[in-house]
Amino acid sequence: MDALLYEIMVAFALGLLGAVVFAAIGLVSGTDETTTLAPLTLLVVLLGAPPAGVLTFFLAGAVAKHMTHAVPTALLGIPGDTAATALLADANYLRKLGVPHIALRKMISGAAVAALIAVPLSVLFAVLLAPFGEVIKQFAPWVFLCAALTIAYFSAGRWAAVLALVPFVMVIVALQALTGQYGVKLSVSYFLGIAVAPLIASLFSLLAPAERQRMRRDDYRVFSLAPDVKGWSGYFPNPLKIINPRQTRVTAMAASVSSATFVFSPVAMTVIMGEIIGSRIKHAYDRLTTVITARNGVTESTYIAETLIPLMAFGLPLSPVAAGPAAPLFNAPPRFWVDNATGEINNLHNLLNTGEFLGYGMLAVIVAILVAYPFTMNFAHGAAAFVARRISHEAVIATFIGLVLVIGIWEGGLLGLMVILTIGLLGGFLARFLGFNIGVQFMAYYTAVLSVPAIVALAGS
Amino acid sequence: MQHDHSTPALAAEPSLGEGGPARQNLYEVWGDTIDVRDLAISIAIGAVVSLGAYFAAKLLMHSLVESAQMARAYAMLVGILGCLAGGAISAFFFKPKREVLEHQADQGFREQVVADLLKEYGSLGRLEDLSPEVTAELKELQLYELFRQAQAREEEARPVNASVAPSAGAAVSLSGGRG
Repeated sequence: MDALLYEIMVAFALGLLGAVVFAAIGLVSGTDETTTLAPLTLLVVLLGAPPAGVLTFFLAGAVAKHMTHAVPTALLGIPGDTAATALLADANYLRKLGVPHIALRKMISGAAVAALIAVPLSVLFAVLLAPFGEVIKQFAPWVFLCAALTIAYFSAGRWAAVLALVPFVMVIVALQALTGQYGVKLSVSYFLGIAVAPLIASLFSLLAPAERQRMRRDDYRVFSLAPDVKGWSGYFPNPLKIINPRQTRVTAMAASVSSATFVFSPVAMTVIMGEIIGSRIKHAYDRLTTVITARNGVTESTYIAETLIPLMAFGLPLSPVAAGPAAPLFNAPPRFWVDNATGEINNLHNLLNTGEFLGYGMLAVIVAILVAYPFTMNFAHGAAAFVARRISHEAVIATFIGLVLVIGIWEGGLLGLMVILTIGLLGGFLARFLGFNIGVQFMAYYTAVLSVPAIVALAGS
Repeated sequence: MQHDHSTPALAAEPSLGEGGPARQNLYEVWGDTIDVRDLAISIAIGAVVSLGAYFAAKLLMHSLVESAQMARAYAMLVGILGCLAGGAISAFFFKPKREVLEHQADQGFREQVVADLLKEYGSLGRLEDLSPEVTAELKELQLYELFRQAQAREEEARPVNASVAPSAGAAVSLSGGRG
């Protein structure tokens, strides 16, 4: 009993840590989920946190970040992270109508409702899918190949992205062969390279005279920050009073649907669910506020479902979130691994049971809501003003460059760094010119690691 | 309307768009504006501080921590803290290249937004169809009157649109039929 209590306390503490850290990171625009969640979760795994604590850290972090990302999105009109880009248009309308505080409150209330619903639903879907787990594990190399092709086709690049898989996968295979010659096996470096690809591509462009001319700006960027309005008393306003019954219903429905469609990219699901809901609402104001509520709910439910379902049912990272931000829950050698040759899986899949996933999942979501929801409600204005006026973009870039250097050298010395640079530059340009997005690039990594050996074996036999 | 420049010294500059000495090196990188000289120094600070922290921790940890694996993980933790420290130092030295205006949306601006919404959605919808909660919310935000007037204007304009729309539709289906 004491052991269980101890484990719950550790899980609670790590969930709290994740919620606080990522609530702060969410305020800074441009802090992509993968770039921030993956390395910090990996760190928690490698420092030896118990499995339950690893899960609560990641989930509480993801849920808290998708609440506070509403602050820059609603108040300044700059997307807080990648998922927030899908919310920007509606948030901008509400901001220009002079009611950004409404956009903000609706977004975080929708997030709270959706997150609470998504955990039990994801566990339910995972239990329903688990019987097929064995079959899927056996055919994992081919499942990853199909998933990569599907996700590529549904990216902005369509057939260009499907075809671009070939060279991109080849580069990864070639880099692995190269580092293998020196006895270096890398995984995190590829993830980080893919995650910071847009930054690396931007910095290279800045060095090329012609591109640099196009990036030139004559003046500071102007942001308008809406004044602070507080419409309730107390510290913790009831989310169900901030969104109306229909908004609650629609958000719950969107969260349920998007929990089931765990193989699609979260941004795509956020956009699609918003379109479907919006087309049924006649009045413009009602439509704006309801869509933004449901959409931010979907950013939560997709992250929760796309982490929990593949983790519980298969133990394989078979979704865009599992392949990206949540990758260290599946694969963090030497502690967690997915062995292609033997089919052996050792990660949270076998270290936690269904009841634990449900219990710790709910714990993480509740901790995240208790930290991020009242914080955002009460201090959004001050936080947005602080970030916009004190945290320069140069400082954000310097932090990420530091991260690239430390993680690259930590994992593979100079070779690790070269791999991040190569993958980052290639991925960044493919994303910019062909719409070969981050989700496709992650699936390409798994195709290179898991599918290519199977394809080679098949061709050789 | 209250102007608040992120860099107080620049607030005194008479013309903002002319490109004073401080504004000659501005570029948009990764979604926001940076000064290229500040960026280069920031990256150098970030690199030195983060790697310095990492290598120092690596040297220290190997003698302090028993397991080599744990020592490596702790070194990475210190390295990541070093990244944050590098970012904090850069934030201290270089102010954001942003201008933050704090203001209330004025009536004319709001009407423009409503017009944009009408253009995007085709119709603003009817206030009469709204649930009591949404109506109360609109009244509380003092947006009810704005949407009521816009709705009245839209309804006035509609008969004209209605007479145009069917013929346009017919033209489309005709040309479609020929193909």
